[in-house]
Amino acid sequence: MGHLSGEHLYEIFARQKREDRLEHIGTVSAPNPALARAYAWQTYDEQKWFEMIVAPREAFEAVNRDEQPFTLSPAEAR
Amino acid sequence: MSPINAAGFRTADDVPEELRADLKALLLSLADNKRLLGMRYAEWLLGAPTLEAGIACSAMAQDEWGHSRILYAMLKNFGEDPGQLEHQREADQYLNSELLDEPPGEWTGLVVLNLLLDAALSIQFESLKDSRFEPLHYKVRKVLEEERFHFEHGRGWIARIAQTFAGREVLEEALTPVWISCLRWFGVPDGELIARLADAGVADAGPDELRARWLDRVGPIVHQAGLGLAEQDEGGAWRSTVELDWLDWDGSRRRSGGGSLDSETLAAVRGDKNRAMLMD
Repeated sequence: MGHLSGEHLYEIFARQKREDRLEHIGTVSAPNPALARAYAWQTYDEQKWFEMIVAPREAFEAVNRDEQPFTLSPAEAR
Repeated sequence: MSPINAAGFRTADDVPEELRADLKALLLSLADNKRLLGMRYAEWLLGAPTLEAGIACSAMAQDEWGHSRILYAMLKNFGEDPGQLEHQREADQYLNSELLDEPPGEWTGLVVLNLLLDAALSIQFESLKDSRFEPLHYKVRKVLEEERFHFEHGRGWIARIAQTFAGREVLEEALTPVWISCLRWFGVPDGELIARLADAGVADAGPDELRARWLDRVGPIVHQAGLGLAEQDEGGAWRSTVELDWLDWDGSRRRSGGGSLDSETLAAVRGDKNRAMLMD
């Protein structure tokens, strides 16, 4: 995803029904929460979501691993 | 004042003749503005500052086109041919804001339309959610659900651009004319289209109240961006620091008089290059 200066990664969680658990469905890059909300809703529009929420990646604390949360591959973790 | 308990209109045929002409003009004005705004969003599908912004423009274009199609289809009930409305009118028959006559040159110009004009259209839509013209009810709700994210997009980008001194300068230059134009779009306080529709209970507010609602929505964002166009009074309401004048205002087209769509915009919005398929 294109990265401009002053942008942050936001993690997106959503559920289709109230009785579902929130699932991590993706990430967007945005300079502020308003744009993160707009991008998340407009990009991840494959479902009719009951609820969608976003949080900056920096807000997440690693619990059992030393690498950054949301690291996808061992190469990225190094 | 609005006849709150007046009987609702289930179809266009139930609407008295004079009121019907006004309602038709309102629906056509909303349809034309949404169709053209959708086109402006689509022009940034490629070339927006980030991939996400391009995707957002694509989504907003689709939303606006969907809304305009709903409105053009509703006009069939008013004796209009939607195909003719969409593909065969001349530039001066469009009831669009002068802000959409030609493309904004830069990204800042687009996000200013996104924040200010899109919000003005939404405020006008909101005024119809309990309209005496009942076919609007469900449709207005659907439109407003989607518009929520257009507003987030506009305000997010305004905040982003206003972060730097240079950005604020560009923003002020792009935003000021649009600010004035949107305030005028609701019309003179008395006697025009929106005032008559409010009196008849088709809309729940007249021009001044709609302006006040629009200012409450966009005023805080413009103020936070460091622009002096909006200020808050002691009661907490937002007001414009710019005095409006009505020179060259054409109330019947809800725009400044004289101008109309440029030729490229007209050809694109009518789909002139697709004429061969329209003959089918």
